Amino acid sequence: MPAFSDYNPIVVFIYFLTVAGLAMFIMNPVILGISLFGALICFRSRTRGKKDRSSGLFIGLFLLLALLNPLFHHNGATVLFLINDNPITLEALLYGFTSATMVVSVIYWFRSFSLLMTGDRLLYVFGKVSPKFSLMLSMSLRYIPLFATQARKIKASRKALGLWKEDNLWDAVKGGIRGFICLAGWSLENGIITVDSMEARGYGSGKRSFYSRYSFSLWDLGMLILILALTSVVIVSKAMGALDFGFYPRIGGELMTGAAAGAYACYTVLVLLPLGQIIREAGYGREKERKNGNH
Amino acid sequence: MVVIKNNRIRNIIKILIPFVLIPAAVVVGVFVFDDRSYAFISLVVALLSVLLFVAGFEKRRTGTGRMAIVTIMVALTVTGRFVPYFKPVVALTVITGIYLGGEAGFLVGAMAAVISNFYFGQGPWTPFQMLAWGMIGLVAGFMGEVLKKGRIPLAVYGFFSGLFFSFVMDVWTVLWYNKTMDWNLYVEALVTAIPFTAIYVISNVFYLMILKKPIGGKLERICLKYRL
Repeated sequence: MPAFSDYNPIVVFIYFLTVAGLAMFIMNPVILGISLFGALICFRSRTRGKKDRSSGLFIGLFLLLALLNPLFHHNGATVLFLINDNPITLEALLYGFTSATMVVSVIYWFRSFSLLMTGDRLLYVFGKVSPKFSLMLSMSLRYIPLFATQARKIKASRKALGLWKEDNLWDAVKGGIRGFICLAGWSLENGIITVDSMEARGYGSGKRSFYSRYSFSLWDLGMLILILALTSVVIVSKAMGALDFGFYPRIGGELMTGAAAGAYACYTVLVLLPLGQIIREAGYGREKERKNGNH
Repeated sequence: MVVIKNNRIRNIIKILIPFVLIPAAVVVGVFVFDDRSYAFISLVVALLSVLLFVAGFEKRRTGTGRMAIVTIMVALTVTGRFVPYFKPVVALTVITGIYLGGEAGFLVGAMAAVISNFYFGQGPWTPFQMLAWGMIGLVAGFMGEVLKKGRIPLAVYGFFSGLFFSFVMDVWTVLWYNKTMDWNLYVEALVTAIPFTAIYVISNVFYLMILKKPIGGKLERICLKYRL
């Protein structure tokens, strides 16, 4: 079984879209709990050994989002207490917590998404939709480090000429803008050289073929079918109302019906899919350690 | 590259997609997720509109030169986001729209959103950013003649595009958080965003005033020099 990050980028892309999409649009506390759990595990497993400095920020965001709702929504039958004659209700509070779980879990899914779907993989996916758009994206991505280097050169030469001052904010801004304008002039002329070179090699004269190092294997097909099957079970149960859960005016709806349990199970499997390889890798790592220890 | 030569087929596709796909998304949103899920509908509509534009662009013959100039403007925009105190995204998008046409403006705005989010974080907000910045560039292209002439229309355009961006992004914030439109929350989101909106508006107007002449002049000159 290939590592999850080694699957075809289209499969990984669809995986993240479905797993985050389901969390975004199903306001069911159990589904969202599973989603947050899976998102955190997936993200942690990608950043093993590294300390996550931003976790405090996300806890703060979670609390802010959770407590914001009862301050603005006063419907709900169970009044907890009053602030300025406005009732704070249990239902609004719970809705706030559910919403906050949704937002934070989706943000974590996208953080893992950014780690797994690096620029080249995303370009591969975009290239399937529009090769021209994808070419432009990859050209711009290449220009950014080039421009950063050139901007440093411009700054150095302006400094050497005595045209750079950073004594106060206004000078720094003015210098930055001047340098930026120089950069723009240089890069446009430079771009024309690129164009000449592309046209000399026959760009636009025929159908383009392009190289990609990703193939679509049977493993990819199997994974794709598994993802789509699990997703459709959850969507069908949602469409049949098995996952409906009401907050206003009273908390209502059964969380643990048979149909809902099936959907929860499917969603849990879906959420844990990226871990298949982690477990394998962990085993491999331990084996390696043991071998190294023996030597 | 596959180019649909038949104009009629191209026009039919252009009409069919927005009038079939987008309503389909709305219907699915109403039936599969309960009818209160405007967040789903708005996300799909935003994605489809961006896709529609990109697909339409794919079918058109654009000179290699224009394409390269657009990619350079995108890269400049993203590089600009890293310079401290320098947030020229809208200014450069508008200038591209004015001098190279609305389509180029849309592409610069939309691509700058995707690429800078590689560094600042992708999320469900990416399609909305693409759409908002893209529309600002597109409309600037339509109003090119007016914006080219005077400084006052340009300043007014910069002012309103800052407001527009903030208003669009806050609609999404509220829909995402609350599922349905809630005007109290929307007003609250707009109020908390006032410092950011002020930064957008001020930097838009400021950089449009400063950059229009040098960058616009360079674009005009390069188009003239190399007959793009």
